[in-house]
Amino acid sequence: MKPEALCRRLVGLAAMALLAGCGAGAQAPPAFGDADNGRLLLRQFGCGHCHRIPGVATADGKAGPPLEGLSRRSYLGGRLPNSPEHAVRWIVAPQGVKPGSAMPDLGVTETHARDMVAYLYTLR
Amino acid sequence: MKKIVAVAGALAALAAGAAAVLWAGVYDISATDQHLAPTYKLLDVGMRRSIVRRAAAIAVPPLADERLVARGLVQFRAHCVACHGAPGVAPEPFALGMTPVPANLVHTARTWQPAELYWVVKYGLKMTGMPAWQFRMPEDDLWAVVAFLQRLPRLSPSDYRVLAAAPSHRDDESPPADAPPDADRGRVAIEQHACVTCHRIPGIVGPDSPVGPPLEGMAERAAIAGLLPNTPENLVRWLREPQQVHPASAMPDLGVDERDARDMAAYLATLR
Repeated sequence: MKPEALCRRLVGLAAMALLAGCGAGAQAPPAFGDADNGRLLLRQFGCGHCHRIPGVATADGKAGPPLEGLSRRSYLGGRLPNSPEHAVRWIVAPQGVKPGSAMPDLGVTETHARDMVAYLYTLR
Repeated sequence: MKKIVAVAGALAALAAGAAAVLWAGVYDISATDQHLAPTYKLLDVGMRRSIVRRAAAIAVPPLADERLVARGLVQFRAHCVACHGAPGVAPEPFALGMTPVPANLVHTARTWQPAELYWVVKYGLKMTGMPAWQFRMPEDDLWAVVAFLQRLPRLSPSDYRVLAAAPSHRDDESPPADAPPDADRGRVAIEQHACVTCHRIPGIVGPDSPVGPPLEGMAERAAIAGLLPNTPENLVRWLREPQQVHPASAMPDLGVDERDARDMAAYLATLR
């Protein structure tokens, strides 16, 4: 490899190493789901009708709590300790978790829920 | 002109230096590391002067009434002894490790004015373990405590032991809830129920602790806790008995009385 190319490669690696240290706090594990697809799904399922969700077009609903910073929340639905797995459970079957909740069962599959959670967990 | 620039530059450098020291975490915040004596003195004098100024305008009612003193003893045993101890009685173990350490109230009662004692009991002291009792004691009880404190220096340890042996009871009658809802009072009530330890709440400075959902936009939330239609009555109900509304909720019953709940709901109704 030519010296200039090697130099560029090393700088690139150093930059990645530095950036990897940023963003303290919970993240869904890598390959938990497809965050890009999750963002689209959140729009398609109309989640934004009730929730303000950063990065999702027209998601500015105020009926439910805003979803920014979701990964830092301690509880979901006021009762489930927050984790990626519990977030999936909450999205797939909220009525099972909290009967009578204003959040309806929307027929979200587990796979789609994982994608949504992967996106939501990127929200600081 | 040069002089102004030089002074401004020096001040800016000082501020930057102070910020760097703060950020570096050099200052030892532990309760086991004691203040330097001058620091302690500064804080003590500052506290005292703040209280003296604010207590000056307070009118003190007659305090020599035996029933008032007796009522004060009940409150004292229920709320004060755990941190401050009593003649011949140690504070609870947790209070022995506090910085600043809770004062011995016999000495306090001998050296402070009744209005000042009332002020501290009612409003508490920032950055200490001394809470504000304003929302937890009716006005009469606040003065009853002061009345008892006036008596305290005259009690020997055996006198106090005799008094404390008598059974005590709590007066838990809520203040009447017929005043119109007061959003300003509600904001203070929210602060005084530690809501900010779990919720980020616009207008209230706190740790932004995201245990529960943020309360911004609460006025336009369709449901309270996802379960109750968002009406003032339901919000009062939720604030007063969340565990009855949602038994598995992480939100605890906090003993919020009717009036405080109505005022809190009035404040939350301003959050759009």
